[in-house]
Amino acid sequence: MKWNSESKLNGLALLVALLPVWEGLSRTELVNPLFFPPMTRILRSFFLLTISGDLPYQILVSLQRALAGYLLAALVCIPLGIVMGLWNQVYRMLELLIEMARPIPPPVIVPVAMLFFGLGDEMKIFVIAFSCAWPVLLNTYDGVRSVDRVLMHTGRTFGLSRGMAITKIVFPAALPQIMTGLRVSLGIMLILVVISEMVGSSDGIGYFVLDSQRRFKVDQMYAGMLSLALTGYALNQLFLLLYNSILAWHKGLTRAS
Amino acid sequence: MKPPGRINLPGLVTLLAVLLLWEGFSRGSASLQLYFPPVSRILVSLYELMFFRELLGHLLATLGRFAAGYLLAAVLAVFLGIVLGYSRLAYSFSEALIEFLRPMPSVAIIPVAILFLGIADAMMVAVTVYACAWPVLINTIDGVRNIDRTLLHTGRTFGLGRWQALRKIVLPGASPYIVTGLRISLAIALILVTTSEMVVGGSGLGYFILDEERSLQTSNMYAGIFLVALLGYGANRLFVLVEGRVIAWHRRMTAGETV
Repeated sequence: MKWNSESKLNGLALLVALLPVWEGLSRTELVNPLFFPPMTRILRSFFLLTISGDLPYQILVSLQRALAGYLLAALVCIPLGIVMGLWNQVYRMLELLIEMARPIPPPVIVPVAMLFFGLGDEMKIFVIAFSCAWPVLLNTYDGVRSVDRVLMHTGRTFGLSRGMAITKIVFPAALPQIMTGLRVSLGIMLILVVISEMVGSSDGIGYFVLDSQRRFKVDQMYAGMLSLALTGYALNQLFLLLYNSILAWHKGLTRAS
Repeated sequence: MKPPGRINLPGLVTLLAVLLLWEGFSRGSASLQLYFPPVSRILVSLYELMFFRELLGHLLATLGRFAAGYLLAAVLAVFLGIVLGYSRLAYSFSEALIEFLRPMPSVAIIPVAILFLGIADAMMVAVTVYACAWPVLINTIDGVRNIDRTLLHTGRTFGLGRWQALRKIVLPGASPYIVTGLRISLAIALILVTTSEMVVGGSGLGYFILDEERSLQTSNMYAGIFLVALLGYGANRLFVLVEGRVIAWHRRMTAGETV
């Protein structure tokens, strides 16, 4: 087989080749094994923590909070975005409020949420919902605004009620952009669940990673990060799957035209 | 979207109504005041903290970390992005690593950074650089790859050196992508700075806001949030301003070349 200089297998091979180097440097203490524990120890730790159920539990706790906040944001912001996109007056009324709240960096909402909800799940859910709200809201608004008005008027002319026109015409037409917003929010969701767990929590993967570092269980810390990377990857793949199945009609439609 | 200079009257009315209701309800109920201190009191707190107490110092600390992390990330990521966009070989060797690291939420790097760099400024700048580099890197790679190869070959044929081709063709050609990446990173930088300040404490607006919440000084907490939002807003405005100028320069150059 001829070597392909553009294949991504090169990078994979490089990573695999670097593992023994890491292992050796750490075992011979050429690099401080406190900072870089041998790769095998990290993997062993990851494996042990996975079968003992510790890591899956922490990930599950985090995912529950994350998804609750994410869904809350979607349930509030998609309808609100549609209303804002259809009625310009509503948009104009809310515009300044949104413009004022949007530049707030989401992490500083954590203290506010702690004030209102204490350290429980509600606090994290609120923070996640607040942060995920913006991409969903603004993308839904944009998507609805750019729906062809003729489409809507035609529907109304043919006897669709206002509600029907929204569910049958506006929502599907804006769906690709709504999904874009949801995709952006998915990454934000994972970041904010980790942040809120680092700042105020006693469980969840964000807490687990930070706590492992504080107790100098460095192999556990890396194992936690590995599980986070895997979770992030899996969530993204799952979303793409969902995206493709929901928007299959859209792809077909745009390809035909 | 809206014509400049036109005042959004309904928006202004809604905003004022919300603020007035906030003020009114808060003054009317002592139990509510803990959670929502009157707006006027928050503004007084902001003024006093800013000019007579430590808030200015926290603001400057945050600003310094923010600027250092963001600018370092921008320079590093644009440079790396050009290399990886230019050379398929380099990209093929780093693609696996990029795909492995990218799905991990960037804030998870904070514990590692604490381990290596302690709780000093260097740690906060480092995590900011790490997180901000991603959007710029990915966008720069895309931008460089999307440059019309014919343009590049034409340039080379007409005697441009590698360095000149980079400066005259690659950089301007990829700049729309790079700018998009830089813009996304602006918000990320503030997220990472405030988060690391909350986690390790000591100084900065993130620390200040969390600390005031813990001591139940809620009007101070809101004052801090107002300030950090203002910082984010200001940074964004500045970005738009600079972007406009850069694009004007870019337009002038491209116009000059066609003549």
